[in-house]
Amino acid sequence: MNLKEITQALQLSVKTGEDLLDRDVTGGYASDMLSDVLAHARKGNIWITLQTHANIVAVASTRELAGIIIVNGRTPEAETLRKADLEKIPIMSSSLSTYSIVARLSELGIKGDERV
Amino acid sequence: MEDVSLHILDIAENAIRAKARNVEIRVIQNDREDTLILEITDDGMGMNEEETKRSVDPFFTTKAGKKVGLGLPFLAQSAEEAEGMMIVESAVGRGTKVTAVFKLRHIDRKPLGNLDETVRCLKAAHPEVDFFFECLTPGQ
Repeated sequence: MNLKEITQALQLSVKTGEDLLDRDVTGGYASDMLSDVLAHARKGNIWITLQTHANIVAVASTRELAGIIIVNGRTPEAETLRKADLEKIPIMSSSLSTYSIVARLSELGIKGDERV
Repeated sequence: MEDVSLHILDIAENAIRAKARNVEIRVIQNDREDTLILEITDDGMGMNEEETKRSVDPFFTTKAGKKVGLGLPFLAQSAEEAEGMMIVESAVGRGTKVTAVFKLRHIDRKPLGNLDETVRCLKAAHPEVDFFFECLTPGQ
């Protein structure tokens, strides 16, 4: 499944990377601690967080994530959007909570880490 | 970063990469003013004005072959999440001072973590560097 299908199914608002939504999503990761995401998210994952700081773009870029969903109706900072445009990181937002977004992604078949 | 001590580890490693011989780590916990201040001062090579300004940009790094430098940006974010701020002062050839201020009792303020263990690790890993560590509690 790609970002465009996810965006449509969850009615996300696309903040950056409108032209990058054909990216395939390999799975999902939800966390608000950036060092944890650096350690555990995988390439191509969609990342669900309430963080809006520009640091999220650096994390997504380092881990080569497919994109970021910002939850709870939070608005990304201007610097975050500027960096995301530069680094080609799609950012989507939703008024739903992390739990609800993850539940819907799961219904769509987006898996997490299921090694354990 | 789970706690403040991990930030200290990270920033101290910056100082060591900048060839510091002395690193001062000060944690000032002021109950009356409701502040937690972290100061890390080094006598390394320092940065010019432009580099100092860019040091809080996660896409700025002096490390060869790296695209991002997250130590200072992550500390700045942690401070801001606890209604605080971070200041970087630096002078080429003289060193760098990083000050992070947190609201002590802010619900999102990260715990201190194991400061003694962190300083012990730094000393063991870098015997050539002098680490000075103190924890102050004025207003108590």
